[in-house]
Amino acid sequence: MMDQMRLIRQRQSGSRKTTSERGMAIPGSPDTLVAAVHALKVTFERAGTRIFALRGVDLEIAPSEIVALVGESGSGKSVLGLSLLGLLGHNSKPEIEGEIEVVGAQIGSLSEPQLRRLRRESLGAVFQDPMTSLNPTMRIGKQLAEVAGSAEACIDLLRSVGIPDPARRLSAYPFELSGGLRQRVMIAMALAGSPKLIVADEPTTALDVTVQAQILELIRSVRDRFGTSLLLITHDLGVAATVADRVVVMYGGRVVETGRAESLLREPKHPYTRALLRSRATLDASGPRRLTMLRGEGVDSRSEEPGCSFAPRCELAFDGCAVTPELEIAGDHRVACWRAESAPGPEADPLVHAPPVVAVSKGLSSVRINDVAVSFKVGRGGSQGTLKALRGVTLDIEPGGALAIVGESGSGKSTLLRAIAGLAPVASGGVDISGAGKVQMVFQDAGASLTPWMSVEELLEERLIACGVRDRKERHRRILEACDSVGLYQQLLPAKAGQLSGGQRQRAALARAVVVAPEVLLCDEPTSALDVSLAAIVLNLIADLRERLGMTLLFVTHDLAVARVVADHVAVMYLGEIVEVGTTEQILNDPRHPYTKSLIAAVPESGHLPVPLKGEPASPLSIPSGCSFHPRCPSARSSCGETSQILKVSPLSRGHFIRCEPVVEELTWR
Amino acid sequence: MAIAGVYQSGQVSRKRVLPGVPEFVVQSSKGSLVTAALPILMTVVVLLVPVIAPHSPLVPAGPAFVPPGHGGFLLGTDSVGRDELSRVLYGMRTSWFSALAVIASGLVIGITVGAVAAVAGGWVDALLMRITDVFLSLPGPVLAIAVVSALGPGLVHTLIGVGIVWWPFYARIVRGEIRALAARPHLEAAKMSGVGPIRRTVRHLLPGALPALVVTASLDIGNLVLTLAGLSFLGLGAPAPAPELGAMSARNLTFLLQDYWTAVAPGVGILVLALVGNMAGDGLRNLMKDR
Repeated sequence: MMDQMRLIRQRQSGSRKTTSERGMAIPGSPDTLVAAVHALKVTFERAGTRIFALRGVDLEIAPSEIVALVGESGSGKSVLGLSLLGLLGHNSKPEIEGEIEVVGAQIGSLSEPQLRRLRRESLGAVFQDPMTSLNPTMRIGKQLAEVAGSAEACIDLLRSVGIPDPARRLSAYPFELSGGLRQRVMIAMALAGSPKLIVADEPTTALDVTVQAQILELIRSVRDRFGTSLLLITHDLGVAATVADRVVVMYGGRVVETGRAESLLREPKHPYTRALLRSRATLDASGPRRLTMLRGEGVDSRSEEPGCSFAPRCELAFDGCAVTPELEIAGDHRVACWRAESAPGPEADPLVHAPPVVAVSKGLSSVRINDVAVSFKVGRGGSQGTLKALRGVTLDIEPGGALAIVGESGSGKSTLLRAIAGLAPVASGGVDISGAGKVQMVFQDAGASLTPWMSVEELLEERLIACGVRDRKERHRRILEACDSVGLYQQLLPAKAGQLSGGQRQRAALARAVVVAPEVLLCDEPTSALDVSLAAIVLNLIADLRERLGMTLLFVTHDLAVARVVADHVAVMYLGEIVEVGTTEQILNDPRHPYTKSLIAAVPESGHLPVPLKGEPASPLSIPSGCSFHPRCPSARSSCGETSQILKVSPLSRGHFIRCEPVVEELTWR
Repeated sequence: MAIAGVYQSGQVSRKRVLPGVPEFVVQSSKGSLVTAALPILMTVVVLLVPVIAPHSPLVPAGPAFVPPGHGGFLLGTDSVGRDELSRVLYGMRTSWFSALAVIASGLVIGITVGAVAAVAGGWVDALLMRITDVFLSLPGPVLAIAVVSALGPGLVHTLIGVGIVWWPFYARIVRGEIRALAARPHLEAAKMSGVGPIRRTVRHLLPGALPALVVTASLDIGNLVLTLAGLSFLGLGAPAPAPELGAMSARNLTFLLQDYWTAVAPGVGILVLALVGNMAGDGLRNLMKDR
């Protein structure tokens, strides 16, 4: 009885807190909450080990509130989302403790038919990859009609999520739509039946920045128009900052900090939130720099020890951390940390700001790319076409330089890298690397780039043999040296890719690339599949290696903030062409090409709403005439569709090239 | 050190791996493991036949047509008084090794053709695969008959005839698996490492094709035992006195109604071999599936 009383009181005080936190007076008692999770513990059993996915979580979502659930893999954020939907699988046999109340119903006490009804009438879900959540064999219209009813309702829904020409789209199959449109369809499906709550699990992670900005804008407008509450699960604090009213940060199956988005991100109290913010590559930093690193790799969700899950990686940890901290009010938000008060503010932090990376010029090698074109034949018979992946790229990279190649998917940035590596068939033009054969590449999926049945040692040794190192002892010495330089434990040498963690795999791949120091290191999105804290470690490692070995670095990324951190020059690509190239400062602080401007404006950063660029890139199978960007260009003139553009040097600064005649003209006359 | 402050756990993931034992063996069910090991057991048994067999398979050891269990003959004697058990055991030995020999030759040819076709690509691939198609369309037993009639009767000639048509499946499997693997980043990474084409094929591609190949090959043992027994039943095996299961049951078919054991015992021998082959294949397939 006493317990129950305490419980109720806690819940009331909690909910009152959240209302005031949001700073908007929503009339209501706890009963009007859309979702209330209390002391939720979820434990799975996998291969005999217990996995503690959630270790006691409280969460409340008010009507028409956007709550962002932020955390890295293993934090339990997706499990929490699934439990709100009543979708915790039957096959993984979870043990569930605690209460989950959604739209007034206790999820735990509902039967499967009742759950289905609840989901149909009050809940919506959007997942990361719409291609796998949509049925590939059903037309969009038919799938939508399953939840929406009539065709008219479908058209209305599609229109409300901003899909152009909705009536025609009804007869399309999912594969005929672009990634952004598919995600819009998913949101339309989630909106059918005007749900009270939509759970969106990483809805923009698989999308390009510009499309991500469109979807984030849509999410906000959905809330504004329909008053739907949204639980937005994301690993990206930037995404959370731009759309959410309230941010809930999770770590190791617990909520570690929660509060209003702005205040939480401006004044994070929990050491984890703070580390997460610092290890994130951001656009506004100046010049190449090292990111702050978190110790260790990820959470051990098998650990049965009580206490703060973050303590093993926390620099403020002390003996008291063995007792699990509760969420306490701290300033204007709530934080679960014994040392939140004593923690220094973000500015006063002993931040290890390593000196900026200086280009080491040895005059040994440079990469000269001369008008390189790459095209692929696709399709057969009547539908045969030529996919122009690269349409004449010319670049000159000085020794020791670091060039980031950025662009949306389909821009040809990876093809350029592969052409330099000699992995893509170059149709015309040439790649000239002095010190040929000294090019090494780090792939996006490090795990897949390691031969599964060969040990790390065998792979490294193979590289040394290929480079003519005959002496066995010498090879062994250099293998150990390479391990040392990438921070890979020597005990892991006999291990195969399947036995390594994500970070260890990327280290092993790097070790192979540098065991014989290359002149040029090509990196193809090496961090895009990694958690934020792990990505920071890998980025710093690459910067260290570059500095030490004096390598020229070519780094392909879709993330402008990553480009800011690793590179001194940036090339922006669009549909197989470079549209703007210059120093990192020139491109990111003073972008001139309309496409670069839109790319930068679309990056979700706290402080401004992302400005989405309309549309999506054209297919490389049918490239628009004239300037290939003109159909999406906000400042396009009528002549842009006729004359194709050439890369011209900016009249303001040398070394800054822009492929846009009107912009160059304007700069000249100013 | 420049990367001071980078920490990571130095442990390999918690899966326990015994030294020298492939990982999939450790994780798999015991039943599959036992059945998959049956061919090894069978090979040991047939190797030991000269020791186990109570009598010579060729020299009469007693009166003709002694029923099973009498006079110290477990399976009785045949029409000339030779010990049936010894003859069946020696017959199994011949059949088993013949099957293994054909499979081994098939694997050698199949892996070579398949790997060369997949790696070379282009017209080499097209040519090799068309040749493979030609051999795939030849009916094995008929070709064996043709070879035997051309070269004269004998076990080796039969094996040559069957061996000629037994590799196309393996070639296709190897080619398919290698082509699928060749699209994976690990091959490009190996290329970037400067690994030459032969080593790339042998170390980075072939091991990936082996699981599928091993399963198919082991399932083929039973198949092959039956094919060879069928041919020897038709008289296309080792000539007369040699103990061959197919030939034995053919010759003793006339005694089936009175002295049934002379015809049935070799048949049971064939059954055992085919069963071992099929069980091993299934067991291996389960093991690979678990992996």
